Amino acid sequence: MSGALSARRRRALAGLLAPHSLLLAAFFVVPLAIMAVYSVLTPGLYGGVEWEFYPYGYGRVLGAPLGEVEEFDPVYGEILLRSLRLALTTVVVTLLLCYPAAFWVSRLPPRRRALVLFLVTLPFFANLIVRVYAWMLILRPTGVLNQLLGLAGLPAADLMFSETAVVIGLCYVLLPFMFLPLYAAVERLDPALVQASRDLGAGALFTFRRVILPLTAPGILGGCILVFIPAFGNFVVASLLGGAKVMLVGNLIEQQFLAARNWPFGAALAMLLLAAVLVLLVVYVVRTPHPEGVR
Amino acid sequence: MSRRGAPLDWALGAWGIAFLAVLYLPIALVLAYSFNRNVVNMMVWEGFTLDWYRSIFGLATRLAEDASYVHSTEGLVHAARNSVVVALAATAVSTVVGTATALAMARHRFRLRPLYQALLVMPMVMPDIVLGVALLVFFVGAGMTLGLGTIVMGHCVFLASYVFVVVSARLAGMGADLEEASADLGAGPWTTFRRVTLPQVAPGVAGGALLAFIISMDDLVITYFIAGVESTTLPVFIYGMLRRGMKPEINAIAMLLLAFSFVIAATGLWLRARRR
Repeated sequence: MSGALSARRRRALAGLLAPHSLLLAAFFVVPLAIMAVYSVLTPGLYGGVEWEFYPYGYGRVLGAPLGEVEEFDPVYGEILLRSLRLALTTVVVTLLLCYPAAFWVSRLPPRRRALVLFLVTLPFFANLIVRVYAWMLILRPTGVLNQLLGLAGLPAADLMFSETAVVIGLCYVLLPFMFLPLYAAVERLDPALVQASRDLGAGALFTFRRVILPLTAPGILGGCILVFIPAFGNFVVASLLGGAKVMLVGNLIEQQFLAARNWPFGAALAMLLLAAVLVLLVVYVVRTPHPEGVR
Repeated sequence: MSRRGAPLDWALGAWGIAFLAVLYLPIALVLAYSFNRNVVNMMVWEGFTLDWYRSIFGLATRLAEDASYVHSTEGLVHAARNSVVVALAATAVSTVVGTATALAMARHRFRLRPLYQALLVMPMVMPDIVLGVALLVFFVGAGMTLGLGTIVMGHCVFLASYVFVVVSARLAGMGADLEEASADLGAGPWTTFRRVTLPQVAPGVAGGALLAFIISMDDLVITYFIAGVESTTLPVFIYGMLRRGMKPEINAIAMLLLAFSFVIAATGLWLRARRR
């Protein structure tokens, strides 16, 4: 298409985009804007806010309290660091699990490959809560894991309500988010390039490091970001498998909104989470080549 | 494959089988335990029964009476009904909205297009808790009563984006040739849309709608924040049950929910594979 839009095409475009634009404006942009404003207001005595500038919400987390009324509490920094640590662990574990699996799937004969891809995708559609529940059955003190350990004559493992349990749950729930981008990259990898590297005398490890790894890097980056974001903001897995012992930033936000009723502080935490995610997404978009016309 | 790669192939195969096992064993466990007759300790196998499934549907059973868990059945049915109502309404709205957007984005170029596209995918990629609390603040601030209506509105925000992505993928594979041919042959834009574009894009729309339906039925986090007391959905209900303690009937509920989403997802994936 060339030149300016004709009046008719412009009307069609406006008509088609109007519903979604209204939807996003009313229930996405405006709510986020309100939350941004709330994050710098004074918490009301019984929930809600009072219209007075009060950046303590950020100050409490980032270590810049405004003096007399409140003090900087390192516990919030610890919660943020723990969320970061567990999310990064989840990323690494899912990457290690999925990378070889992606190669396996890509080398299957076509019919079997379609079946396996279907099987890998299917759990993605299973209810999140059901998938977390399955691990509650396995990890609880009387659970499957300890029954098996008992049968093998090994001492019981007390994993329920621990960071390990939370990481296991996060990995299980987010596995498809890592697998699918990885598989897409591995499938595009030209076997001829790998063969050429070997024929020219490169060792297996060298070929992996200099040919396979760089060529699948976009998939690795994509998978890591897609796993990191939901892992970092998750609160369901932590609340069911981590209990009160493993508090993540998601649990802290939930608590501020539903129990402590300190909305400005909760809003400030949510804004920090959103900022972290936006930075990651910008990195992803900048680092990923986008051929024209391909989404 | 060369002989040199044989041990590697073997190792990859073993890894792949283990990978599938990790994906499916936990689910298989829940399935097995949902048939366990043991009322006192659900983790110890005592024999096969279908009573937990019967008790979900409110049928009197020996086990459920012994265990005296029956009181939750009414709440469960209510939550299930809420979930279906919300999912149907949100799917209907978001399918229309997302499809319209996909059509507009595929056939028109405009200045702020990349920015708009980024805005469209944001509700899908941002942590759901952020959207959940933002909607809570918004609905309460706007003086709206939290209930099924607010849940439907909240779901539409991110479901429309999923529909947009699925339908866009279909449109990208279509090309505009047939539409141009139709226009050249004298058909008006509306006729072209109805007789050429719509039939071609229909599988994408159906796939998007199925995906939206599953995601709506599955959503816990956003619903958790914007559901009123009377408008609990199934995932929120189960989450509440799990936080109070584990009961054997949860196994059966979980399995029914799983079977339901698997059937819908399998239909969607099969449709997509067949049309390709």
